[in-house]
Amino acid sequence: MAHVEVVVFWLGFLLYAGGLTFFVEFLFSRRELQDRLGLACVVAGWTLETVTLGLRWAQAGHFPVVGAYESLTTLSWAVVTVYLVLAWRTGVKALGLYVTAAVLLFLTIAGARYSPPLGLTTALRSDIVVIHVAVMFTALAAFLVAGGAALIYLVEDFELKRRHIRPVLGRLPALRTLDQLVGHAVLFGLPFLSMGIAAGVIRAAVYGGPHWWRDAVVLLAVAAWVIYAGAACGRLASGWSGRRSAWLAVAGLVCLLAIRLVAVPYLSGFHSWGR
Amino acid sequence: MHLVVVGISHKTAPLELRERLALPGDEAARLGCALHDGATVAEAVVLSTCNRTEVYLLSGDTGAAERLAVGRLAQRGGVDAAALEAAVYGARDAAAIAHLFRVAASLDSLVVGEAQILAQLKDAYQAACDEGCTSAVFNRLLRHAVEVGKRVRTETAIGERPVSVSSVAVDLARQVLGKLDRRVVLVLGAGETSELTVKHLRARGAGTVVVAGRTLATAAALAGRCDGRAVCFDELDAQLAAADIVISSTAAPGYVIDRARLAGIMGGRRRRPMFLIDIAVPRDLDPDIGRIAGCYLYDIDDLQGVVAANRHEREREVAQAERIVDEEVGRMNDWLAGLEVVPAIAQLRGKLAELSPAQRDQVEQLTTAIVNKILHLPTVRLKELAAERDAYVYVEALRRLFDLDGAAAVPAGEPGESAQPPSRRAGQAQSKATLRPSPSPGASGQ
Repeated sequence: MAHVEVVVFWLGFLLYAGGLTFFVEFLFSRRELQDRLGLACVVAGWTLETVTLGLRWAQAGHFPVVGAYESLTTLSWAVVTVYLVLAWRTGVKALGLYVTAAVLLFLTIAGARYSPPLGLTTALRSDIVVIHVAVMFTALAAFLVAGGAALIYLVEDFELKRRHIRPVLGRLPALRTLDQLVGHAVLFGLPFLSMGIAAGVIRAAVYGGPHWWRDAVVLLAVAAWVIYAGAACGRLASGWSGRRSAWLAVAGLVCLLAIRLVAVPYLSGFHSWGR
Repeated sequence: MHLVVVGISHKTAPLELRERLALPGDEAARLGCALHDGATVAEAVVLSTCNRTEVYLLSGDTGAAERLAVGRLAQRGGVDAAALEAAVYGARDAAAIAHLFRVAASLDSLVVGEAQILAQLKDAYQAACDEGCTSAVFNRLLRHAVEVGKRVRTETAIGERPVSVSSVAVDLARQVLGKLDRRVVLVLGAGETSELTVKHLRARGAGTVVVAGRTLATAAALAGRCDGRAVCFDELDAQLAAADIVISSTAAPGYVIDRARLAGIMGGRRRRPMFLIDIAVPRDLDPDIGRIAGCYLYDIDDLQGVVAANRHEREREVAQAERIVDEEVGRMNDWLAGLEVVPAIAQLRGKLAELSPAQRDQVEQLTTAIVNKILHLPTVRLKELAAERDAYVYVEALRRLFDLDGAAAVPAGEPGESAQPPSRRAGQAQSKATLRPSPSPGASGQ
């Protein structure tokens, strides 16, 4: 069972890598076929990663979020799900390149830190933890998409502003489309981030001791929340958009990635179970 | 039989000569008919566009066919045949096929990758077809040429990027603003390029067009042509506040809009982006406007730079397109070679004539018995069904399945089969059966 799971995991990884190759080729070759092949690879990879998670769930007996391997695989799955829904609903496909690159990074770390299923500690046997994990992953997936769209926006805006009109620009979505995508993704992710932080804080206040709020994870999460809340309020109240909105989305994403890639493995006392 | 092309194009003939030989409307098809009527030419298609006039012929005597075509063209254009010959180019067989495919792929066009040539070629073929000037070979050849043109456009990026200032401007506007639906276009001053750009924008869904002029009268003329509204320069600030796209081409000696003025206006727009094009020389819009957040300003040099880059990109795709053309020329040659087996099949069929009358009777009796046996049950059933309400369904099905009305299309592309529309199918068996495309000197199957 474990062997099958690992094989399926790496097959899914290879399909995502194939998708990335096609997306890069599409950016420079401008052949519509490459874009479609890229999307097909991502759909196939996503299917295999779904199977991986299913097998893992069956084997471990609980939702696969314990340890780096499980949590990063689940997060990657959530990101690709959000991307596929967006590609299907809005037709904005240019994010494929960014999404596959980000997901491949997560899966590389996940694969390198593979471990057999771990039993749930008492601290994790709680409904509030399940809610915390589910809403946090949803928020992260939305913010990853927002951050990607924002990065593309900033590059495209820079090129258009300095009147450097290269052919590759024609392959990117319109500035306004990207701006709207950033806005929608931030507005979508913010309630989930708020719920996730609230659930995490409740749990930490109960189990984390008197100085729970001094933890790097908590501080970074609050910083990210302030940035996203500021971006959302600015957009709704004063029509903030364009570069300012994009920079805020990128800054928020940096905080979130710092939590996942730096604070959780190296700095924090939380999320350390199962490592 | 040999394929021949003779013609003139922008590469060989000056505009004056091309004008004389241009064949508007159905004149091209009439010239094709005139060539086809004689004994020399088996099939003919004439293609006439603003940049080329070409005659494609199938004939057993290539020299005579070429002389005939040049003579007719000279006569039609009222020019001296000897003078025309200096500007005429020609090709035969595989080279002629390659030329046709290159034309269809827009590789021979003035603007490489332009899309109109494919439609013009289709029209020329359709007209020749309607006049009965084409048969098995040209039906196949011309359809193949159209397919080559489509294949080149799909598999290469040859026609992808715009190569005119106005279409580049529209593409850039879409890059910044996304969909152009209901976007407000403000035009300052009048000019051919701004008018063209407005028309392009309108075609892509742009909404209101407002034309601002020094006086209402000057603005009204362009506004009338663009189905827009004319305003005076006095209202400029209010119009700028509402506009998404600004096109400027006034004859003013200095800046019409400077940075400070537009920065003030942009402050009240909640950062809604504005796309500005300055086509005027000297410039109308302060170049520093491009540094205001949300303002995207391009001048004529920027646009022409993109046009040049796009032309260069198209040329880079030419090599790939040429490979496709070569491949397809090979296929077409294979098909033509396949036509040689047709006479052999005809001879084989002729063997049937060697049966004695008694043997023929026996064969016919046997055939009739088999046909009766097979048709008996369906005939009885059909008569029974005739009483029912939905009997017409069965009758219709029978008619379609067995082509009882003679309307079904013959599958195109089978060697030796005519890909001709039904009206022209009769009477072609002879030309099919006697075609010999191989370049044997003096071969004549007509």
